This record gives sequence, structure tokens and C-alpha cells, in this order.
Amino acid sequence: MYDTNRRVENAVNLNDIKIQARKVQVYYGDKHALKDVDVDIQDKTVTAFIGPSGCGKSTFLRCINRMNDTIPIARVEGQILLDGEDVYDRRVDPVQLRAKVGMVFQKPNPFPKSIYDNVAYGPRIHGLSRNRGELDGIVEKALRGAALWNEVKDRLQEPGTGLSGGQQQRLCIARAVATSPEVLLMDEPCSALDPIATAQIEELIEELREQFSVVIVTHSMQQAARVSQKTAFFHLGNLVEYGDTDDIFTKPRDSRTEAYISGRIG
Amino acid sequence: MTDMPLSRPTDMADRKPSASLLEQDARTKARNAAEKRFRLYGVAAIAISMIALVVLLATILTGGAGAFRQTYLNIPVELDAEILDPKGNRDPAEMAKVLTLSYGKVLDAAVEATVARHGLQIEGLSEKDIDNLISKEASAQVRDRVLAEPELVGQTVEFDVLTGGRIDGYFKGRVTMESAERDSNTSPQQLQLAQELADRGEMVTRFNWNFLRYADASDQRPEAAGLGVAILGSFYMMLVVLVLAVPIGVAASIYLEEFAPKNRITDIIEVNISNLAAVPSIVFGILGLAAFINFAGLPQSAPIVGGLVLTLMTLPRIIIPTRAALKAVPPSIRDAALGVGASKMQSVFHHVLPLATPGILTGMILGLAQALGETAPLLLIGMVAFIRDVPGGLPSGLFDPASALPVQVYNWTQRSDPAFIERASGAIIVLLIFLLCMNVLAIWLRRKFERRW
Amino acid sequence: MPLSWALLASFLLAAAGYVVGRGRALASVGSDARRLHSRPNYHGCSVALTALLPPLAVLAVASALRLTDVLTDETGAVVGILALVAAIGGLGLGVMRIGQEFQARNVVERMVLGLLMLCSLIAIVTTAGIVLSLVFETGHFFQIYDWKTFLFGTEWTPRFQGNSQLGIVPLLWGTMYVSAIALLVAVPIGLFAAIYMSEYASRRVRGFVKPAIEVLAGIPTIVYGLFALITVGPLLRDYFAQPLGLGNSGTSVLTAGLVMGIMLIPFVSSLSDDIINAVPQSLRDGALGLGSTPSETVRQVVLPAALPGIVGAVLLAASRAIGETMIVVLGAGAAAQMSLNPLEAMTTITVKIVSQLTGDSDFNSPETLVAFALGLTLFAITLVLNVVALYIVRKYREQYE
Repeated sequence: MYDTNRRVENAVNLNDIKIQARKVQVYYGDKHALKDVDVDIQDKTVTAFIGPSGCGKSTFLRCINRMNDTIPIARVEGQILLDGEDVYDRRVDPVQLRAKVGMVFQKPNPFPKSIYDNVAYGPRIHGLSRNRGELDGIVEKALRGAALWNEVKDRLQEPGTGLSGGQQQRLCIARAVATSPEVLLMDEPCSALDPIATAQIEELIEELREQFSVVIVTHSMQQAARVSQKTAFFHLGNLVEYGDTDDIFTKPRDSRTEAYISGRIG
Repeated sequence: MTDMPLSRPTDMADRKPSASLLEQDARTKARNAAEKRFRLYGVAAIAISMIALVVLLATILTGGAGAFRQTYLNIPVELDAEILDPKGNRDPAEMAKVLTLSYGKVLDAAVEATVARHGLQIEGLSEKDIDNLISKEASAQVRDRVLAEPELVGQTVEFDVLTGGRIDGYFKGRVTMESAERDSNTSPQQLQLAQELADRGEMVTRFNWNFLRYADASDQRPEAAGLGVAILGSFYMMLVVLVLAVPIGVAASIYLEEFAPKNRITDIIEVNISNLAAVPSIVFGILGLAAFINFAGLPQSAPIVGGLVLTLMTLPRIIIPTRAALKAVPPSIRDAALGVGASKMQSVFHHVLPLATPGILTGMILGLAQALGETAPLLLIGMVAFIRDVPGGLPSGLFDPASALPVQVYNWTQRSDPAFIERASGAIIVLLIFLLCMNVLAIWLRRKFERRW
Repeated sequence: MPLSWALLASFLLAAAGYVVGRGRALASVGSDARRLHSRPNYHGCSVALTALLPPLAVLAVASALRLTDVLTDETGAVVGILALVAAIGGLGLGVMRIGQEFQARNVVERMVLGLLMLCSLIAIVTTAGIVLSLVFETGHFFQIYDWKTFLFGTEWTPRFQGNSQLGIVPLLWGTMYVSAIALLVAVPIGLFAAIYMSEYASRRVRGFVKPAIEVLAGIPTIVYGLFALITVGPLLRDYFAQPLGLGNSGTSVLTAGLVMGIMLIPFVSSLSDDIINAVPQSLRDGALGLGSTPSETVRQVVLPAALPGIVGAVLLAASRAIGETMIVVLGAGAAAQMSLNPLEAMTTITVKIVSQLTGDSDFNSPETLVAFALGLTLFAITLVLNVVALYIVRKYREQYE
């Protein structure tokens, strides 16, 4: 485990920067939920956001693909650049943005449709296939990518809600992967799962990194240490510290980070 | 703060991304157009509902406003003792033998005298036209006044007498010279005369309190028709509903929500209640006719029967919100009461019920409002009859024939004279005002109680 | 009125019983209420209730017997005395029972519980009353009129002198036609209004439109009926029926259908609103997170998930439309005919129930009794629709808890 991480960390610096956030502020009504966040997220890297509940990590995650637009009282200021383009530019259509920046949620939320239709939903709405054969290919590739293919290949027409919790979450990952996003946002994807399912998802995240930039919000410091190469620590709406995961966990520079890591706050 | 040097935004600007987010591709454009269309359907649906509401209220308000104004002819009437008190002893019992017809003659003479006094001469105007300026109901009203004050006989008294429905309609714009041409009940000459009298200040149009006081009137006299009996009848029925439906409904809700064991019987009762709430109201009318009138022998057209029918109809509509209000009280309150040694019954009556009161009150008032506007079942139990006599006081009034507000509306729509349509719309305005007051009361009560708890 | 006097006397005895019971309970422990099992008030209530309930039962039974003519009116005095005896007996028993150890509270609570239970049974009694009165009188009707002619007859021509044709088919046709038009108006408009309100509308728009729609829902149907009669009917006649040569009737199926549709809009929209809001937000997030537009989310995720509930709502709306009376009485007309032309006057089951039961004909003539058969048909149709709809909606709610 340790060895892999070392090797990966060496590779990190070669990656391009995928997302740049500059002076991001978020307000929920009068509440200033996120203050002055500056961060660079690299391509083909797993970046973990950690911090105590209500620290703004999920809020920031939801800014990246503009899911905060769906909350009427939320207001975002500052810039978030995806490949150099501000996602909050007036010309940007959030629909197109979300096709590029996929999202997996805290609780598995498969649609009340068949497994096949769940995965095919994104490709269908975005028009990614020309015919049924191509769509079949996309679905299979996505399910294989989410390490679910072998378990469901014989029952693609059964409802997605009939799967177990871990399978449902992998189905949701497959659903997100099927639109070929460039970034995958995961909002505490394992918090509703048992340890075995969690281990499967973590393994999957490691594989997904080869194709996407993965950003994961997690409550568990162990999970952040296991899956990520970069870690950002949020506290009370501020980005306190951001750096290589190893450095954050072994030699934090901010006293708040240290306090959180050693279990004194949070 | 971070251990990485931040890149400058411009570093990446010249890199060519796969597809720019800043330009929408054709497919996204098409999808956004579909999105706009979909939204537009929603806006259209809302707009149609709002327009329907506005048009509905506007027609009723403009059509019914006239019922609240009434035209009177102000004339001196010489109450001729020869005709009105032939025996000359001013005994009301004797005078009551003089028929309304005789008062009609007295009034006709008074109208003719007034017209002559002003020297009004209109070509083609018949004597009948002059006499018909005033309502046929006017003589009855003068008679009532004289019988109440016999000493008036022999004097000349100023009366504001009701004008005929067509004359009244002319001053409200409902009747025109053109329509009078085709109308056998009036003539352009008569309207011209009325106009002349109005120009000389003899005609007044003023607020019509009598609309809220008078009983119904016959087909020929829309100008004298009022809502008095209907309002009283509706009031009595609401009283019955209030006294029966509210305690029974609340009791049933308490049992079902707090005490009922979860078994088949409880299940059946619950399905029953939600089903009863959706049974067409006219079916309750059939039940009332068969059970209360044919079987139990209660009188037709009586508010007690109407009240009973409305009670049965309103019960489920009170039980459902009451149960919701009881359910909304958190279980921790019950636990707290039981924890200090209160019995289950005490915890419910001392703690849960007071906390649920705002919800119960709201449900109750809305249930009553619904009952107030209900028409169909009342038609079947005979409340559609023509009723002139004001029912007595409580409780005997509950068994006297009466009308009800919504039924009075229906009754008036079935009359031939268009003036009754104006009355019907006016009655609806009264009904809507009552409903509005009840709703405002519901909101006010809920707010007041919410602050307290 | 010996019965009312007996009733009044029983209430007075009960009130006296309360005072006596309370006093005796306190006296039995030397005014130290702490030594009693139950508070003195409960002792008072227990005496009052034991004094009041027996005479009430006697009076209720006697009234029921009088209604069924088992007892004649002359027995009133006997019944009254019997009730008084029952009251005094109850009072005596209640007072005797008082003592330090007597569990008055439990007794009172059991009696109150019984009363509560009785109240909740009224719903069942009502349904039984409806079914009994309909079935009973319909039975009468079928004794003097052939049921096959009623169910399958295509002619409705009641005559005072007898020999009436009383076929329900034309009435059913009119009912279904009007209801279908009403649903065609109400379902799309109500559904789209609900979707717009729950998925798009800003808080300001919602704050204004929601109460307005509730106002629409609170308007009595007689108002809609008058609206149909004086506004919509003449409008359709003057601007559609006459210019197109499709008839010149002020009342028509289309008039009643349109106005009933408007009446049903708030019903459909508030039910759909509940149902759409029951779809979990996580499903919406899932779809939006994949890059669907809001309308795609609604059409492809929210509506399919809410479909069973919406079907239930539509069935409930259909049941309302079929049972609606005042709008069709004033808007649809009285001519029993089967025509496809929506601008012609037709009639419905409810209209004919009203006209047959408010007419002057003899109560035991088939022309009057047919109203009960019509009522039974109406009740049966709406019952099936309601039960199915309530079952679907219930199942749907359980699915999302």
C-alpha cells in the first residue's frame, strides 16, 4: 500500500491542472458558507476534501459542477476554471458542464428504472450513441469500469433499485462514468455502505483515476489517506491546508489540521 | 496556506480544450429549446388557471353588484281612511281584513298624482305603465307599515316604495330602451317617465339592506326577493353541523389516532372514512331523503335535516385533518406525560389535544366552509322549495321550513326573469364573503395559537 | 314531549350526581384527597356518567323502536318514566361504589374510551345507511320496473301518466362525455401547474399562485354552475355553436365539461403537487448531476417515479367529475340523448337524480324510484374509482415512506 502511494506521488507532479478555483465564496442566504477558496486540482489524480461536518467541503464540491444552482438561496462568487474556462461564465450551460463533470452522491440514488436504462440515461440525453449497438457498448464499458458488469450482466433489465447498497452505489458510478466525464465528483460515496462495499468502491476509485480527475469528499481520514494523492482540509468555511496527502497526514503545517488529524476537533 | 504554488489562470488559457464550455453545441441548443417550451407549458397552465379565476370572480362580482343597490320611488301617499279603515275605529284586527289589493289602489293613485304634479306627459304612455312603475310588492309593504302604525291612516305619508324590476334594471343598465321595445312587461315610454321622475329627484337608488333581510319573492317580483330566510337557514344548519360534526369528528379522530388497536376493524373504519370523503355529495342527499325524511319522518325543508346530512358529509372532512394534526404532535410529548405517571387518556387530553388545536380548528373551519357551499344534497331533501316565511327562533326554528344560501342561488337561476340572475350573483357574493371570513378566521386562529405553543 | 323532559331530568340528575359523588369521595377519606385512589373530580364524573348513560340508552332504544313503529306515540310517558328510573338506579349505583379504593379514574376513562369508539363507528354506520337506503329503494324500483330495460335501455323518457322509458345508457353517455372533457382540461393544466410550482417557480410566484389556486378550490360548485349558465354557455353558443351551425343551445356538454375542468384544476394540481414532492430530492440530484435539463429530469425521472400516484389522482378527479351535480344541472342541460356533438345539450346521472327527486310525482312511482337506482349506479362507479385510487396512492406513499 505504502509503496504504491510513493510511486503515485512521484507521478503527481507530471499531471496537468484540471480545475482552478480562485476566491470562491458561497452564501446560503445571509450565511457565508465558504470563504476565499483557492485551489488547483490536477488531472488524473484523486483529491480528497476532508474536514468536520458543516465545514464547506460538500458545498465546494457542488460548486464545481454547479449543483448549487438547484438551491434557490445559494449564491456563488469568484472563479472556478475548468480547463481555463470559468464554469460560472454566463455563456456556460450547466447542462453541458455537468456532462463533463459527473457526480456521485452520498446515498445511492438509482432511478426507478432497469439497470440498463440507469446507465444508458446519460448517454441518451447527451446523444452519445448513434444506435442501439453503440449504446450497448457504452453501457457495458461503464459497468465494467465500475466493476459491476460480472454481477449484473445477466439481469440488465431488472430494476436498479433491487441491487444491494454497494451495488447501487457502483451502479451510480457506472451511470456517471457512462457520459465520459473529465472530472468525477464524489460526495461521501461510502458513507451509506458497509465496510466490504466501501473497500470495493475504494478499489474502484483507484482505477478510475487513470481516466479522470477524481474529487472525493470524505468523513473518514483513513479513507482519504488510502485513496487520495492530494488532500484539502476545510474548517469553518475556509480551506485551511492543501497539499500531498502524505504531507497533510504526517507533517501538517497548520495547527487546526493537526488538531483535526489527531482527533481533537471534528 | 497551501504547500503548492498556485498556477496563474492564464497558464491554461491557450491550451485547447476538447470542447469549449462557452459555446453550446447544437444538441444542447435543441435541449435548451425543449426546456424553454416545457417551462412555457407550465407558465401557460398557471396563466390559464389565474385567468379562469379572475374571469369567474369578475363575472360574479359585476353581475351581482346590482343586487346590492335598489331603486325606490319617493312619493307622498294619501292613506285614505275610507278604503283602509272602513269601520273607522283604527282597530288593527279590523284593518287586517282590508286586502293588499286595496292598498294597491291607494298606491296607484299616489303614483298617478305624483306624475300629474310634475306635469309629465309622454306620448303613448298608458295608465297601466304609470301604475307599474312601482313593484307589486310595494302595496304589501305599505300595508305592513300601516297595520303596525294604525294612526297613520287618514294622513299623507312619504313612502320610499320599491320600483318595478324593469325600472330598477333600467337604472342599473340591465334594461335599455331597445330591450324595452321587445318586452311585454315594460315599454320605452315607461322608462322615459322613470327617467323624468329621476331627473326631478323623485327616484333614488341606494344601498339595498333589504336584500339581506327580505324573504324570497315570487316570479313577478325580483325586486323584492331577499336572502333573509336563506341566511337564517344556512346559519341554523351550520349550527347543527358545528354541534354534531365537530365533537364527533374530534372524538373519532382521537380514538383512531391514539387508542385504536391495529386490526382489521380499524383498517375497515379507516378505508371507510377516506372513501366517505370522496363519495359524491348528492349521494348524501339521497341518504338524507331515505333515512331522515322517509324513515325517521323528519319534516322536509327543515334545517335540522339539512344540518344532519351536512354533518354526515362533513365528518370525514373533519376527521382527516384532525388526525393529521394529532399525528403531527411529536411522540416525545406523549412519552413525557406518561413518564410522570399520567394515564394514556390524560396524556391525550391534557397534552396532545391542546397542541393539536390549531390544526384541528383549521380543519374544522374549512370543513364548515365546504358544508356552507354545498348545494346538491340540500336540493334532494326539499330545501329547494319556495319559502316566504321566516323560520322561528331556536330550537323550534330547526324544524321550520327554510332555505339555504347556495340553494337560493339555484332557485333563482331557475326563474325566467333575468333580474333573478342578478339576485343569484348577489347571493353568491354574500356566500363568498362568508366563506372568505371563515378562511380568514382559520388563518388567524392558526397564527394566534402557533405563537402560543 | 315526555321524552325531552326525561332527557332534561337525566342531565340534571347527572349534574347533581357529579356534586354528590365528589363530596362523598372527599368525605370518605376525611377531606384528605391524597388518600383516594382517584382525584375527587373523577369520582364526580364517574357518578355523573353512570347516572346519564342508562337513561340515554333507554331513550335511544325507544326512539329507534318508535321509528320502526313497534312502539306507538302513546307509550311516551312510560318510556320517560323508565328512563328516569334508569337514571336514578345509575345514580344510586354510582354513589354506592364510592370509596377510598374505588378506581374512579379507570372507570371514567373506560367509559370515555367507549364513547370515542362509538363516535368512530359513525363512519361505518353512515356507509351502511347509504348502501341500505340505496339498495332497499332500488329493490322497490326493480319490483315494478324491468332491470334489463333500466341497464340497457337507450331511451330516457319519463312520463307522468306512466309507461316511461327509463334506460340509463344515455345518462351514462352524457356523464362520461362531460367527465372526459373535464379531465382533458383539468389533468394537463393541473399537472403542468403542479410541475411548474414544485420544480420551477420562484418563492415569490409560489407565494402568490398557491393561495390563488386554493381560492379556486374553495369556491362552491354552485358558483361554477352559475358561471357556466350565465357566461360560458352563452359564449360558446354565440361564438362557436351558432356560427359553426352546430346547434344553438346555451347548455351543452362542452360548457359543463370546460367549467368542471376549471373546478378540477386545483384538485388535480394539489394532489399532483403532494405526489411530485414525495419523489426524493436525491433522484432529482442524480439526474441533474448527469447533466439533464430540469425538464428532462421531470419527464424522464420524476414523472415516471410519480406515475402511480398521478394515476391515482386522476382516478379521484374522475370520481369527482362523475359525481359532480350543480355544474351539470346548470351547464349541461336536461335532454337525454346520445350525440357526439359536444355543443349539444345532454344530461347526466346526477342531473336526473335531482330532477326525478324534486319533481311532483308520487314517491312510489317508478319515475321517482329510478333516482335511487341511478344513485346506486353512481355510488358503485365512484366507489370502485375511489377504492382503486386510494389503494394506488397509499401504496405509492409507502414506497417513499
